[in-house]
Amino acid sequence: MRARSDRRARSRWQDVAPLVAIVAISGVAVVLGREPAGRLEPSRAWCPPSSDRLLGCGEAGVDLLATLANAELRAVALAAVVALVGFAVGTPLGASAALARGRFERLAAHVCDLVQAFPTFLVAMAVLSAVRIPSRVHIGVVFALTAWAPFARLALAQTRVLRDAAFVEAAVALGRGRSGVLVRHVVPNLLGVVAVQLGSTAAAIVLSEAALAFVGLGPPDGVSLGGVLDQGVASMLRAPHVVAEGAIAVFATSAAMMAAGRAAER
Amino acid sequence: MRGTRGGVPAFVTRAGESIAVLAGLASAVFFALRLLPGDPARLVVGDEASPAELERVRATLHLNEPLLVQYARFMRGLLRLDLGDSMRRPGVAAMARVTEALLPTARLALLAVAAGAIVGVGAATLASGPWLSARGRTIVDRVLVAAAATPLLALAPLVTWVLAARLRVLPLPGDPEAGASGLAFASGLLAIPLAAHVGRVARASLVDVGHSQFLVVAGAKGARPARVWFLHALPAVLGPIVTVVGTQLGALLGGAVVLERMFERRGLGTLILEAYATRDLPVLEGAIVAAGGLFVVAQAASSAVHLAIDPRARGE
Repeated sequence: MRARSDRRARSRWQDVAPLVAIVAISGVAVVLGREPAGRLEPSRAWCPPSSDRLLGCGEAGVDLLATLANAELRAVALAAVVALVGFAVGTPLGASAALARGRFERLAAHVCDLVQAFPTFLVAMAVLSAVRIPSRVHIGVVFALTAWAPFARLALAQTRVLRDAAFVEAAVALGRGRSGVLVRHVVPNLLGVVAVQLGSTAAAIVLSEAALAFVGLGPPDGVSLGGVLDQGVASMLRAPHVVAEGAIAVFATSAAMMAAGRAAER
Repeated sequence: MRGTRGGVPAFVTRAGESIAVLAGLASAVFFALRLLPGDPARLVVGDEASPAELERVRATLHLNEPLLVQYARFMRGLLRLDLGDSMRRPGVAAMARVTEALLPTARLALLAVAAGAIVGVGAATLASGPWLSARGRTIVDRVLVAAAATPLLALAPLVTWVLAARLRVLPLPGDPEAGASGLAFASGLLAIPLAAHVGRVARASLVDVGHSQFLVVAGAKGARPARVWFLHALPAVLGPIVTVVGTQLGALLGGAVVLERMFERRGLGTLILEAYATRDLPVLEGAIVAAGGLFVVAQAASSAVHLAIDPRARGE
């Protein structure tokens, strides 16, 4: 028994380790870094990696290590916050829709399907078009507009199973109201299943934020994984290290988020 | 009744949903620009604009009218495909610019869907039939999983660097001479994630039907493996394949915007970004609704194909 729980704890640690490593390395690079992210030094523009500049330089001489480390930390923070907001909003919404049954349940399922299938990119553009210079907060709010849907869909499906369980029927028979059943009996029993979605939602947010920055709708400070990729594509012939580092950073961050989400499965 | 939901024909329900989605998106675009803090006229001409200039923009965009009147005018304009002139190109209708940009994006997405579906189904059939060894099947499975897990945003620049910058076998991003090979390259990149998702679903479905009696009977009657798998097994799993293509269309459209920007190709994505940068509101509103329309039409087409090829989906 104990050996099994040790194995499970080890597996959980292995799932979370890549994300912890990325955050730790980025944190160390930011704290020990010699200069702030985005500082311009045109004389060293597009310089290749060296012992002096470990990841080389990008457009106008920005230090890529400082830029990528800051961008990683901000992307992880944004993704974690938005995924948690989606989790906190979507889970009770989906569960209460399934408990209500009937028309409300069908409507909730339908809206979730539509929001999940619809391109988030278009929604983001529609809303961000009303903002002169989008900040990270604006971008986070836009992602939160759709981030609740996968959690609500999962909670709805899981509550359909739970609502017929004996302990839920017993609580109803004892006179507990719908909100009491939801808070005391249903939501605590579906948290484990719904939490699995946290990783993939956070990974999707990392990618969407990078994609928005890549097409020019990123945060105004330019410190973003998508911003580095954009520089890399523009300088593919003279400074291929920029595109390689940007692409690896995007892939590593989203994969680490996805892997960390698997810890909730165990 | 055939293809009905609660007595209403399925295509009527589907059309109603599509119209509701488009109306919802159009309303979101309209109200986001008018209700969020900030003056839309200042967004267009900037903070330095004179009061007279601001007044001119408000009159052109009808921003002085009551909100509901503006909304009715906007929706009527969408129905008539007339949102007025482009703010940045006076004399050119906003919707003319949108329709001009719609075709290249539709072409790119259509090619990507075709390539993704063919490659995905081909890989799944190859990995399910008797042609490969156990090791070969495992390799195909792992390639599909790896391709599905790799984001297009990371993959596309790297593949472009290898094939266009290093090996010089394909055109570089923004190459004006790229022509058809540029379109094929961009749609090929866009097709990779779709092919991986289609391949994984098709492979799982083919494994499910692989031991069905009708396939054993076909084999016993002397049909060759290619006939058994392509003519008998594949039609039985087309439903899930069409469904997964439908669910991936949103991501495909987002990917198309990224690739248009990366390859500097004309299309709806670049038009939206240009209209956003120059605050050309009529073009921006029309282009976002048109992109939503493209998504809705493609979804409806995938549903129709599903209903046409799978009698179970029609409730028969």
